[in-house]
Amino acid sequence: MSPLYFIALPGLMALALALGVGRGRATLLLVGTALATLLLALVEVLSVSQPAAALLGLVRVDATSRLFLAVVNPIFLGISTYIWHRVRTTPVLREGIQRTASLLLFFLASTNALLVANHLLALWVLLELTALAATPLIVRPRAEAARRAAFRYLLFSTVGLGLVALGFACLSRGMDAVGLQPTFIVEELRQLGPALVDSWTKLGLGLVLLGLGAKLGLAPMYSWLPETYDESPPAIAALLGAVQFNAALVVLFRVVQVYRVSNATLVADELLAMGLVSMVVSTVSIIATRNIKRLIAYASINHAGVIAIGLGVGGAATYGLLLYVVSNAFIKAILFLTAGKIMAHYKTNDTRVISGLIKELPYSGVFLMVGTIALLGFPPFGSFLGELLILSALVGSGRMLTFAAFCTLITMTFVATGRTVFPMIWGPSKEKHEFSRQTLPAALPKLTFLIALVVLGIYIPPAFNALLLQVATSLEGP
Amino acid sequence: MSPLLMGLLGVMLVPLFLATWRSSLIGLSLQGFLIAWAAYRLDPNLRAVGSWLLLVDLVLVRGVGAPLLLYRILSARKRSARNDIIAPNLLSWTIAFGLVLAAFNLSAALVPTDGDQRAIISVASAGVLLAFLVLASQSTTFGQVIGVLRLENGIALFELGGEHRHHDGLVIQLGQVTIVAGTLGLYVWLLSSFSEASSPSAPSHDEPTL
Repeated sequence: MSPLYFIALPGLMALALALGVGRGRATLLLVGTALATLLLALVEVLSVSQPAAALLGLVRVDATSRLFLAVVNPIFLGISTYIWHRVRTTPVLREGIQRTASLLLFFLASTNALLVANHLLALWVLLELTALAATPLIVRPRAEAARRAAFRYLLFSTVGLGLVALGFACLSRGMDAVGLQPTFIVEELRQLGPALVDSWTKLGLGLVLLGLGAKLGLAPMYSWLPETYDESPPAIAALLGAVQFNAALVVLFRVVQVYRVSNATLVADELLAMGLVSMVVSTVSIIATRNIKRLIAYASINHAGVIAIGLGVGGAATYGLLLYVVSNAFIKAILFLTAGKIMAHYKTNDTRVISGLIKELPYSGVFLMVGTIALLGFPPFGSFLGELLILSALVGSGRMLTFAAFCTLITMTFVATGRTVFPMIWGPSKEKHEFSRQTLPAALPKLTFLIALVVLGIYIPPAFNALLLQVATSLEGP
Repeated sequence: MSPLLMGLLGVMLVPLFLATWRSSLIGLSLQGFLIAWAAYRLDPNLRAVGSWLLLVDLVLVRGVGAPLLLYRILSARKRSARNDIIAPNLLSWTIAFGLVLAAFNLSAALVPTDGDQRAIISVASAGVLLAFLVLASQSTTFGQVIGVLRLENGIALFELGGEHRHHDGLVIQLGQVTIVAGTLGLYVWLLSSFSEASSPSAPSHDEPTL
């Protein structure tokens, strides 16, 4: 099957919605399109065992594409279902929903295209397109702070991806300098890999990693992330944290797949440095914050740090890193959507005010509890095994100082997060709140993510495991 | 270095010291036109559609569109003429000149032979570093947009003469132009929707949201 189907379907539907087709049924069309796109993507994931190329080599469905298609599309469907339910139960949200649905589907089309793109500049263009689609989604009506957060998001996105573009220009000059025909087709670059070792390539690679670090929320350019996640509507925060984060990660994976073989030390050192500094700043911020969405945002920076360290170490850490990435996509989706539900009822994001969730909002209490336990890397979740494998690889590669710093920071994060979140779940109710009954459609997306998370922790289906192994191998270079 | 590139370096530097928003916008516009001229000199035949697309991007989007749209927003708000995009003191000016010097040294290290390519890399690197100086100095939204557009121009100049430009394919180039235009459109939309108050209102979580 052509991969164009799961790009074209949401793209065309986005266009139709933008032109005013389906007025009054925008959220239904959103959910329907997301479901159909998921099915088309799953057919592609399950039917292709060998990498398939299309469109003059610009598109290529390999193991990395298949893994992330299988993760991103179900999460998008879950977020769409959440939005459909929110709009159905809260009529005031119908204002501007046509435009929102159109932008969401455009975002999905761009993301799916990115996942199968086989050209570094095409990946850059598509990642920028997701940012352009996401920026208006961050804006909430009559909220100046959300507009400023959207501006800040766009600013950091432009600067980060500007650095990536500059890096690509340097990489091109690097190929030229060593007498190679410049190309950005990933498969061709993988063949050239060992020859790419000059100063231009090192400069370019350094800039690309720095720029992509900004998109992932890694230090030093992470400050947009807490503000953006805090000010965005929860569904959009989930979209940025669980979908766009993975899109940016795929671009980073493509770069590492090509350049690790010739520049292993540069890749390892830069990723380890960015990862460790990100963990330090996020841990300090987690200790200080009393805002539930900012807490999850800082935890996202922490996770990005863990992922950067895992990718930097490579080797035995890579499989664990992938397990961690997949688990975290579901964890972030659960936590942001749950935070949305909690904030909608308590009308605050202050963790000191929210208390007694397990009695007052039992579904949300359970989701927050399980999400936090998974977030902290407890068994039986995939994040536990992922962290364990990364730690083991750190010891195996002789990076004992990094190992010690990692353990200290993870422990501090664990204590700080638990100290803030567990009283919200188990503490006494502070005020009398009137709550509407929670319905299954509201809980269904989170419930599905939770099941996926638990399954990943206790039993990884062999086909999925094989996919993880293929991607892990590809990250070690050609 | 050719007079064209010297002129380009001049329009990157002068608005830093003139400190009015009009000079910043004129500087941006001239950057777009001069980079377009440099692109034309490198490929005067204009046989490929991609070459035309590049000129459209540089002249219409960067040279005309961006400054004009920003001018309309600022003139509608009757902003005072003064607008420092770097701090008006000797330290900032020294840093600006230091960055230009660093850019020239970097290009000498990267391109061993003297010539057009080294000169382009020198001026482009200076443009990128000065853009980061502007971004680091600015807390106003307008100043930050100026910084970002300077960065985009620096990158566009950096890419000139790179071999990959000839192999990217029209779709990719079209995508790049769309990104520049789309980003500019979003900045203009956001800038025009900000209230005049200098500090943002407190975040509100009372209203229902998605």
